Order: sequence, then C-alpha cells, then structure tokens
Amino acid sequence: MRSTILSARWRANSGPWALLCSVVAFVYLFSLGPILITAAVSFNETHRSSFPPHGFSFRWWERALAPEWINPLLFSLKLGSLTALFSTLLALPLAFALFRYRFRGRDALVALTLGPLMLPTLVTGVGLLQLFQYVGWREYIGFTALLVGHVVICMPFAVRTVGVSLHTLPPNVELAAGSLGATRWRTLRYIVFPLIKSGVVAGAVFAFIHSFTDVNLSIFLARPGEIPITVKILGFLEFGFAPTLAAVSVITLLLPLILVAIVERVSGLGDFIYGDRDRA
Amino acid sequence: MLEPALRLVGIEKHYAATVAVAGIDLEVNEGEFVTLLGPSGCGKTTTLGLIAGFFPPTAGAIYLEGKPVGDLPSFRRDIGVVFQDYALFPHLSAADNVAFGLRMRNLPQAEIARRVADALELVHLAGLGERRPLQLSGGQRQRVALARALVINPTVLLLDEPLSNLDQKLRDEMRIEIAGLQRRLGITTVFVTHDQGEALVMSDRIAVMNAGRIEQIGEPAEIYEHPATRFVAEFIGRMNFFSGQVTTAREVRTARGLVIAAPVPLGIASGAEVHVAVRPERSRLCRDKPDAGLALKGTVRQVLYLGSTREFHLDLEGGERGLVEMPNDGSAVTFDAGAGVWLAASFDHCLVLPARS
Repeated sequence: MRSTILSARWRANSGPWALLCSVVAFVYLFSLGPILITAAVSFNETHRSSFPPHGFSFRWWERALAPEWINPLLFSLKLGSLTALFSTLLALPLAFALFRYRFRGRDALVALTLGPLMLPTLVTGVGLLQLFQYVGWREYIGFTALLVGHVVICMPFAVRTVGVSLHTLPPNVELAAGSLGATRWRTLRYIVFPLIKSGVVAGAVFAFIHSFTDVNLSIFLARPGEIPITVKILGFLEFGFAPTLAAVSVITLLLPLILVAIVERVSGLGDFIYGDRDRA
Repeated sequence: MLEPALRLVGIEKHYAATVAVAGIDLEVNEGEFVTLLGPSGCGKTTTLGLIAGFFPPTAGAIYLEGKPVGDLPSFRRDIGVVFQDYALFPHLSAADNVAFGLRMRNLPQAEIARRVADALELVHLAGLGERRPLQLSGGQRQRVALARALVINPTVLLLDEPLSNLDQKLRDEMRIEIAGLQRRLGITTVFVTHDQGEALVMSDRIAVMNAGRIEQIGEPAEIYEHPATRFVAEFIGRMNFFSGQVTTAREVRTARGLVIAAPVPLGIASGAEVHVAVRPERSRLCRDKPDAGLALKGTVRQVLYLGSTREFHLDLEGGERGLVEMPNDGSAVTFDAGAGVWLAASFDHCLVLPARS
C-alpha cells in the first residue's frame, strides 16, 4: 500500500514520468489519429472529404465494394499469400544453410539473400522491369513479374525470422533425436520443425504484410487488370482524395490485420513475437 | 571368445589445428560401468560423441558387440545418451519424450505405452508423464532423460556429466540412484565426468584422461592407491610431491640439494628425474626424527580445523611444502603453528613416479 502511495506521489512530481506520458500520447496521436480520421471521412454524406464528416452515409462504402476496388484487393491478397508461401519455402533451406553451416561462398550468399533488405525497393523495381524487358519476358510483366519481385524483397524477412528461431533451438535436441533412432528427416519433421514453427509462421506473416503494403516495386511491374490495391490507390490519388478512397483505405488496413489475428490464434505466433517460448 | 560390449581401437579426432582425441584404446565389458575422468578439454566428451556417432573419428575403429560401427550414423547405433543439459524435447510431454525412441522404431502402440509406463516407474516418475519438461524440476528432467535413454534397451548407455547441473544434495542422491539402476539393469555404461568423487563412487573402472589420451585405466582403488603418473596422482585426491633426481637406489636429491630417502623402484635408473609422492592422509607428524621411512624436517605454517580431520600445512627444509591430514579421533597429539616437526611416512605409502620430459 505504502509503496503505491509513494509511487503515485513520485509520478505526480516526476519530470521523466510526464515526459514519458507525452511521448506516448504523441505516438498514439500520429499512429492512430490518421486512421481514425480516414475512417470518419469515409462516412461523409457529401462529395467533399471533410472532417468532421458532414452527415452520415454508406454510399462511399458501396463504391469501395464495387469490382473496381475489390478486384485489386483480391489480387493483392492472392499475390501476398503466394509471396508468403514461396518466400517461406525458399527461406527454410536457405536459413538452414546460412545459419547452420560454414561453407565457401556463404558470405556471398548471405549478402545476396539479405541484400534486398537494404536496397531501395524502387531500385529493385526498376531493375526487374528492365530485366523482364531485355530478356524478352515482356508478356510476364503483371502477376508473374510481381510475384518474382515480391519474393525477392520479402524473402529476407522470412530468412531472418527462421534463422532467429533456429538459434533459439535448444542445443543437443537434434543429437538426442539421432541417438534415439531418428533419421535426419524424421528429426526435422518431429523435433526441429515443431520447435521453429512459430518462427516460420511469423516469417510468412511478415512476408505477406510486406508484399501487401508494397507500392515502390509494384508500381513498375503492374499492368492493367493485374494491379495491386496499393498501386490502384496511388493511381486514384491523381484525381484527388475522395471519400471512396477513405473507405478503400480502411478495408486495406483491416484486411491484413484480421488475417494476422487469425494466424496468430491458430499457430500461437505470439510465442515468437513476445519471446515466451517453452524451454527445458 | 566373448566380445566386449564396446571396443575403441586407436580412436582419434582432429579439428583443423587442434587434436581433441589423440589415440584412445578402450574395452568396456558387458554390464560394466566405466568412467572417463579428466579436466575440461581433455577429450572425454568428444570421445563420448564419437561412440554415439555424432561425428566421425579422424582415425581408428569403434566396435559394438564386435561389429564395427565407425561408418554408421548415430540413429543406427542403438546407443542411449543422457546429455549434460538433458536435451529434452520441450514441445513434448515427459511420456512422449520417453516414447520418442520407441516410435522411431515403429513399435506397436500398446507396447510403447507399456514400456513408457515401466520406464517412468523405474525412475520414480509414474504419474508425471503428462507434464512438459518446463513443468518439471531439474532432478525430474534428469530422470526423464535417463528413462528416455534406457527405454530403448541400448547396447551401451552414455552419460555426459549428467549430474553437473544439479544441486549438491540431489547430486549425491542421483549418484547412488544411477549407479544402483545401472547395476540392477546390468547395462554397459560409459560415464563422463570431471568430478573425482563421482568417479570413485560409481565406477567399476576409471579411465583418467589428459590431453586427448588415457593416462591410466583401472579400478577406483587401484587408481587412487597406485597412480601411474603425476597427473593422475594430482587429479584424484591430494598428494605431496617432492621432485628431484635419483642418486642411488634409496635416495632422491631435490633441485635445492635436499636428499630424501625414498623407495626407488628397480626400473628407474640413477640420474632419472622423479617425483616422490605421498598422500596427506598417509603422512603423519612427529616431534622427533622417525627411525625409518620418509622423513622431512620442517615447521608448521598453518593448522586448519575441519571437524573430522585437521590439516597441517608445513614449510619443509629445502624450500619444500608439505601437507599432513590427521583424523580428529581424540587421541592424536596436535601441533601449533610455528612448531618444529617431522613429516613422516612409511615407505609402503610412498610412490616414486617418473617425471615426464
């Protein structure tokens, strides 16, 4: 009891505490503020994107749910999911090779794999566009090129998270499994994979989000009819910010959030994010 | 002819520039408990890893029940290993940890269930099978690891410092329990430790290792009473050493010119460098020069009272240091610091060990 009174008094008179509170307030203001304003704007009754909204209507939401917007949204979902899948499938063996073994050319492979993290994606996008044109794969610009580009820029996230979860593997469990008669493959299947699963899922989620939110690279590789939602939004902005866009933005924002929440529930992703793993 | 359960012939393991195991020959008979004892870095754990098949030897051959297994991967060797950190599978329950080896052998469900229950019973963990490793105490985790290694009925059981993570009381308990279990099951066991007490209590034979080699192998009493080298004498128990050169069959002269009467064995020629060694508890203190045996004059520097014993730290003539341990049996005369005394020991209790070049 006494300690709570003391700490309350300390808080009341403490400069650092006040500073902390104002910093937190600022963070919330600038991270949540725009989202809430955008959400509010989408319910405007007028043609103007005014805030606070004039009147209340769902008319912009109706527009936002028309094929013009839903198709790019579904396209982005498909692209993000396949990017997450391929990134993770490639990241698993890569992470094993890079973080488990020493071999010639390892440093080069690390640079090649994790390099795209440091390159501006804009540059990667321009480069890929030129590559597809020069090599004569012009017809693949669109979905295929986007998928290739997204895997290149998203895989490093998956490699990193899988690598980190390999590091947290308790030492000797693989040797123990071997001594108990498990082949390399069965050790992977029954011991290693269950223990790094949350890291793998986290990697896939990061890859999905990075793909879903990318605009820098996508802007170069999209083509009519094969446009991710972000590029579509950017294109629409040329005509000014309309309440339709506000509604679309809210959908674009909520969709990956819902998806991540589901994955987190199903796979126990929280373990990985909060670092609270069973250890023996 | 009966094959030994485990036979190592000229085993070596090199890592780039370092030699971890520099040539080991070892035979372990069926049902025997052999301890690899040595300081850290002596190659004992590497030797264990070679037997388990975690990595291939650089040279040499390994036989299990007469069959060469040097080329077999670990999962084909039928060896049970208990690791220092237990290496339990954190995502599996205790029972599933124990069942793992049986599942890998594709045994029928009913048999697996029965053997897992028996194994948990054996290590006094019946009823705790559903717990995860994290929900078990250190001692219980150790028992799960032991059950997991035993349940597959391995040809050889390998124990890698399994007691070093337990507190003192639990360690003393587990030491007796593991040794008892090993005898009851009659399972061939190789035990790795740096703790001489564990080695003396638990082993049928001890192999003292140093710098990748076995310095001496023998029964605990033999190792303690007749150490073959200074390293072994120093590593197990405590020892007074007086180093010098053999002058005649009954004398050793130290570097500072002190002449010590000592029972020099026939094999050691005069001129050879030797250590005269005597255990503190086989030495005694006398006020006057003893008539026979080892006798070194000096003064008491410090007396340590340890309850059941007293330790006398001595400054001896010729700059030597000495240690005498006397039982506190109520009869012994005691000496105070500064007293002039003789360190005495029967020649039967003195060893003359050749110094290594």
